Amino acid sequence: MTWRALLASAGLALALAACSKPHFGPDKQYGANPPLPDPTQYLFPPMGIAKPIGWGNAMPAVPAGFTITPFATDLKTPRRVLALPNGDVLVVEGDSPATEPTLRPKDVVFNLVIGQAHGPTKAANDVLLLRDTNGDGKADQKSVLVANLFSPFGIAVAGGKLYVAETDGIKEWDFTPGQTSVSGPGRLLTALPGPPIDHHWTKDIAVSPDGTKLYAGVGSNSNIVERGLEAEKGRARILEVELPSGAVRPFATGLRNPNGLTFNPDTGQLWAVVNERDELGNNLVPDYLTSVKDGAFYGWPWSYYGQHVDIRVMPRNPDKVRAAIPPDYSLSSHVAPLGLAFAPAGWPANYAKGAFIGEHGSWDRTVFNGYEVAFVPFAGGKPSGPKQHFLTGFVKDGKARGRPVGVGFGPDNALYVADDLGNVVWRIVPTGTAPKT
Amino acid sequence: MAREVFFPRVTILGVPIHAMLVPFPIACFTGAMLTDITYSNSPQVQWANFSQWLLAFGLIMGVLAAIFGLIDFLAAGRARPRIGWFHMGGNVVMLILAFINNLVHSRDGWTGVVPTGLTLSVITVLLMIVTGFLGHRMTYVHVGEPA
Repeated sequence: MTWRALLASAGLALALAACSKPHFGPDKQYGANPPLPDPTQYLFPPMGIAKPIGWGNAMPAVPAGFTITPFATDLKTPRRVLALPNGDVLVVEGDSPATEPTLRPKDVVFNLVIGQAHGPTKAANDVLLLRDTNGDGKADQKSVLVANLFSPFGIAVAGGKLYVAETDGIKEWDFTPGQTSVSGPGRLLTALPGPPIDHHWTKDIAVSPDGTKLYAGVGSNSNIVERGLEAEKGRARILEVELPSGAVRPFATGLRNPNGLTFNPDTGQLWAVVNERDELGNNLVPDYLTSVKDGAFYGWPWSYYGQHVDIRVMPRNPDKVRAAIPPDYSLSSHVAPLGLAFAPAGWPANYAKGAFIGEHGSWDRTVFNGYEVAFVPFAGGKPSGPKQHFLTGFVKDGKARGRPVGVGFGPDNALYVADDLGNVVWRIVPTGTAPKT
Repeated sequence: MAREVFFPRVTILGVPIHAMLVPFPIACFTGAMLTDITYSNSPQVQWANFSQWLLAFGLIMGVLAAIFGLIDFLAAGRARPRIGWFHMGGNVVMLILAFINNLVHSRDGWTGVVPTGLTLSVITVLLMIVTGFLGHRMTYVHVGEPA
């Protein structure tokens, strides 16, 4: 029955033919106007899963002129870091709400495959307060500031309040840096779209420099509306929340999964990093870094990078496609950016005022991309050169030692990086920086 | 000349398991074609979701039916009718198409169904009509009393 084997191999060849498109390196897609290959429809979409191994005694690699220390270890999936003016560091540990129902046979298979990327540590849902009292660059006090939250992610401190974005709403507590506890269960500032589907569950937040507004990212409920357009109401956008009333309006829409909401201290502009759609190819669609313009529409789901129509969305919407604007800066495809911070003026000249980006790392790509803290130089409040690798070594021999998420600068000029697989907060300072006092 | 007849080897109380399994892929793949047509006219994603489950369950049951059918057929020895080869060959092609169709349907959104998925669903059903006829003819002409 060799004809049967022939038929089987013919089917396999057909399937593989779809995967054999030539690659080009991710560096070709850094910056404005990245090259965009034609979209491909796969039988087997490209995938590459980094199995977790942890750091052991190793540490990520920093460029010459920097020193790295593990600020805190043995955490439980730290996602966000916020260094306070007094030097305390708040860390958000958060877990997916895991409420997304299985809708299709694909979900069953997909969860098995993606599950291999998860570490053995059970995630916590707390806000931790870390304090380094002796100035050795390692936290020696650790306490739980707020416990048992509902999949928290975003965190901000401003105007005498602590704001934490749970996956279904933003809560606030009275808080002044230096406090080591907060009272009560918190007051709900505003509700956000949450479970049961909650496909992209991370809600990142930032408070405007003048303290009058809070901005919240709400990711889409799907890769590309496979749960129907109805499931996307109020999603894939950045919301503007008035303080202290909690009144909400959409600020910018069509952002598939916006995170790393950060105000550029130079210009006062809101910036974010956005995870774009999957399963169109190794080099589609590039994730991006962008200033977020009031009232702008960035394409999702109908188009990407401006007006490139995504044929997977039906019914089509030519009016929305015409309204879509391209983002500022491509980080290349599938890097999964989740954190963003602007370097203080006190950093070495090559880096001062530039953007540091926590790239969680790819899965929808045959060759890994991301898995690093990347750097984009800025001049005059705009990106001014190609992306650089800053903090690396997260993947070794095809396995993941850690995965960076949130990044943030402290008053001590230190860069803190939350590593949710290594369960570490890393602290990076320019070598020779005076120790903390 | 007396025709050589055979009786299926794998049975429960005299009823061939193969015969009990084959209605599932027939009904599932036909159902998937109908939900594909409905989706391509709506497009409400829930119809595409129905198609995906029908295609997945149809494929699993189809493969099981094929395994028992193959055992029965090989066990028939010299009594193996030529029509059985065509029935089997057609169904192997049909199951390979259904497997590919499962992969096509696993794509997110519209292109999981239109145009490739819908086309494969229709071809699968058309092929099933032919292989079903061949199977029934084999049953009514070449399958005899239990030994």
